Amino acid sequence: MTLWAVVIAGAAAVVFAAAMLWSRSLYNGAVCLLVVLLQTALIYVLRGAPLLGLLQVMIYAGAVMVLTVITIMASGGAAAAERFADFALPRGLAALGVAAVSAELALTLAGAPPHAATVAAPGLTAAFGADLFHSYSLATEAVTLLMFLAALAVLPDKEPS
Amino acid sequence: MNAAVWATSGALFALGLAAVVLRRQMLAMLLGVELMVAAADLALVHGACRFSDPEALAAVAVVLAVAAAEAVVGLSLILKVLRSGRGLDAGDLTELRG
Repeated sequence: MTLWAVVIAGAAAVVFAAAMLWSRSLYNGAVCLLVVLLQTALIYVLRGAPLLGLLQVMIYAGAVMVLTVITIMASGGAAAAERFADFALPRGLAALGVAAVSAELALTLAGAPPHAATVAAPGLTAAFGADLFHSYSLATEAVTLLMFLAALAVLPDKEPS
Repeated sequence: MNAAVWATSGALFALGLAAVVLRRQMLAMLLGVELMVAAADLALVHGACRFSDPEALAAVAVVLAVAAAEAVVGLSLILKVLRSGRGLDAGDLTELRG
């Protein structure tokens, strides 16, 4: 059952990625990428990496996609009306997304106990956490510093007097 | 499961690469780069879980954070270009004679 959930999540991710490629609306493209990221997060959870799945949802589907949508909105100008003319996803695509999520939930819940997806490698998440704060602690600190530096990039310039 | 995840990862990477190569809008190109990073992360996570390698999972966590910082820098660069009066089209940037 978990296998079929992974297959459906992968197929949905590929379909929405193709829709992102062909979509002329930037907003639709961002929403399609959001669905792809959520589907890959679900695959992480089903493969036994729930912490990374949650990180993917928080960092990508949360922060980065919100920034992307805000940038699309801030890139207004003369063509804004054209770009935002079609805010909604095509109905067929939206229905496909809802059907895929429903099927994945049904297959995951019906197949086995809820923890079955994560018992494939017991202790892997604990070892991952230990690695992150021991052998990877310097990299973690460097990435934290990088995030602070990246935040400086979005600060506005001083207005010329 | 193995073939399904590898196929998904490969297809996502190819579609992201196609978005970078075929689209001319800078934001669409950035979305393509994000798609390629997500595909690489998916392959790394699958390999890490298959071989029970926690260090690969830690590497994925670091890659996630670095990709988020890269997206922030890319979006702020796009905003700078927009504020300078040029459009979203990558073909408009010709200072480097590219």
